[in-house]
Amino acid sequence: MRPRTIARHLLLLAFFLYSAYPLIWMFLCACRMEGEAQARPLALPRFWTADNFLAVFRNPLFGQAYLNSLLLCTLCVAAVVLLASAAAFAFSMMDFRWKRPLFLLFLLGMMIPVHVTLIPLNRMVGAMALKESLLPLAGPYIAFALPVSILILRGAFSQIPKELLDAARMDGCGPWTIFCRIALPLVRPALATVIIYNFLSMWNEYAFALTLLGPGTRTLPLALSEFSGEHGVLLTQTCAALSLVIVPLLLVFVFAQKQIVNGLAAGAIKE
Amino acid sequence: MPGVHSAPIPVSGWTPWLFILPALLLYFLFVLVPMGTSFGMSLFHWEGASARPVFCGFTNFSRLPKDPVFWRAILHNILLLVGSLAIQLPIAAGLALLLYYPLWGRSLFRTAFVSPMVIPTAAVAILWQYIYAPENGMLTSLIRLIRPDFEYAWLATPGASLFWIFVVICWQYIGFHCVLFMAALTAVPQGCIDAARLDGASEWQICRHLLIPLMKPMARVSVILSVVGSLKYFDLIYLMAGGLPAENREVAATYIYRLAFDYGQGRFGYASACAVILFLLALGVTIAIQHSSDTTGGTP
Repeated sequence: MRPRTIARHLLLLAFFLYSAYPLIWMFLCACRMEGEAQARPLALPRFWTADNFLAVFRNPLFGQAYLNSLLLCTLCVAAVVLLASAAAFAFSMMDFRWKRPLFLLFLLGMMIPVHVTLIPLNRMVGAMALKESLLPLAGPYIAFALPVSILILRGAFSQIPKELLDAARMDGCGPWTIFCRIALPLVRPALATVIIYNFLSMWNEYAFALTLLGPGTRTLPLALSEFSGEHGVLLTQTCAALSLVIVPLLLVFVFAQKQIVNGLAAGAIKE
Repeated sequence: MPGVHSAPIPVSGWTPWLFILPALLLYFLFVLVPMGTSFGMSLFHWEGASARPVFCGFTNFSRLPKDPVFWRAILHNILLLVGSLAIQLPIAAGLALLLYYPLWGRSLFRTAFVSPMVIPTAAVAILWQYIYAPENGMLTSLIRLIRPDFEYAWLATPGASLFWIFVVICWQYIGFHCVLFMAALTAVPQGCIDAARLDGASEWQICRHLLIPLMKPMARVSVILSVVGSLKYFDLIYLMAGGLPAENREVAATYIYRLAFDYGQGRFGYASACAVILFLLALGVTIAIQHSSDTTGGTP
């Protein structure tokens, strides 16, 4: 190997350690006995154990929180896909009054730091006495996901060749049929981006969940931070809980890298 | 040219509104109304969470400039932004260049670099608290391999903790920016590089005069993401810096949250005033960036 290639590998390897070693360390900790984690936190575990994972499973915090997050994110993402694709379709295919200002109004939502709305939303939820359900999160999650989703989908719809739409109209399709039968199937990659990106950001969301949910209701990130702060919970068990949250995400990520990165970048790229 | 050529699907009357209204309604209810309410609330004074609000005009805003914690919080946001621009982006661009030429393990490296991005920030915060733990944390243990008597309270040192949190932010986001730059580089036509090489350009010259300029448009995207992102820091700071004195631990968003919800403070009016300032800041900065790149950025 040429020296230059070796140097490149060394630099990349150094950064690889920075990226990956914390996660490897976490996973190894999750497989250790607690005593060993205190005494020799860096070595490979002498005895591999699954006890920490079992302890997490037995903790009532997690099962419920996992289900909560799954239910909430699935429903919200479904709603976002429906609402955003319809709106994006109109924005790219139809002419109507106030089209431009309305579109800019939606784009404004990507610049708003969500924390600006925390206090009013909290008061709203309090007034409606919804604190014991997951419902308070649905509105903000869907609404804040709309701008970027509409932007992505509008871009995709505008790529559809005009001839195709004309042909469909000749055959007597109305706007609704064109939307369902022709346009939506053609933008499947963009839909995948929207679904994966939004699911991920809702799955990971913390500030709204912290502010809008009552003490008995938790999403996964809330349960995690509560679990690690619980009295008497051990390093090894927290690492097991973290691993149980992180490893499935990493697996999803390996298969959907492109969509995730697309979604994240879309927010910054000007129309 | 809007208005001159017609849209692909000619429609009548209120058909477009059937498509748009559901989204608009939710967006209105849960984004625009709270925004407006925030503005309204910033004009009131609350004496505790359950008290009746009293109208106080712009008093909340006139108190803000005298609030040292608020300024420190904004300063922390700015420091994190400057760090992102000066440290994260160059490293990310460098990594993208290193990964540009084919080499063994390329996709493994890339995947490992980006993967921290998909982890919930709450999980990242907890994990790194253990990594920074002063007793048997990962970093302390690593350093003790060389210096057995090493002792350092990473996150409990007021002046330095923000830097250690910044290291975590880099851990989360450098890989992502790197992938953006890699995407920009894949658009470089191979023919250009071959031609340059035939003309006798060195690898360094190709890098300096061909690849780096071609990354510029994507650098703009990265800058915008960093700027917008740096105003939104919450989870990581809230979870990792919680134990510090007030003026050392806050960024704008955590300060707003604590003013309103911590310790039953319930200073909703004052917190809303901070939120309004944060929003105006975000809006101003975004418009400034868009404007400057419109006038100066000759790149496509």
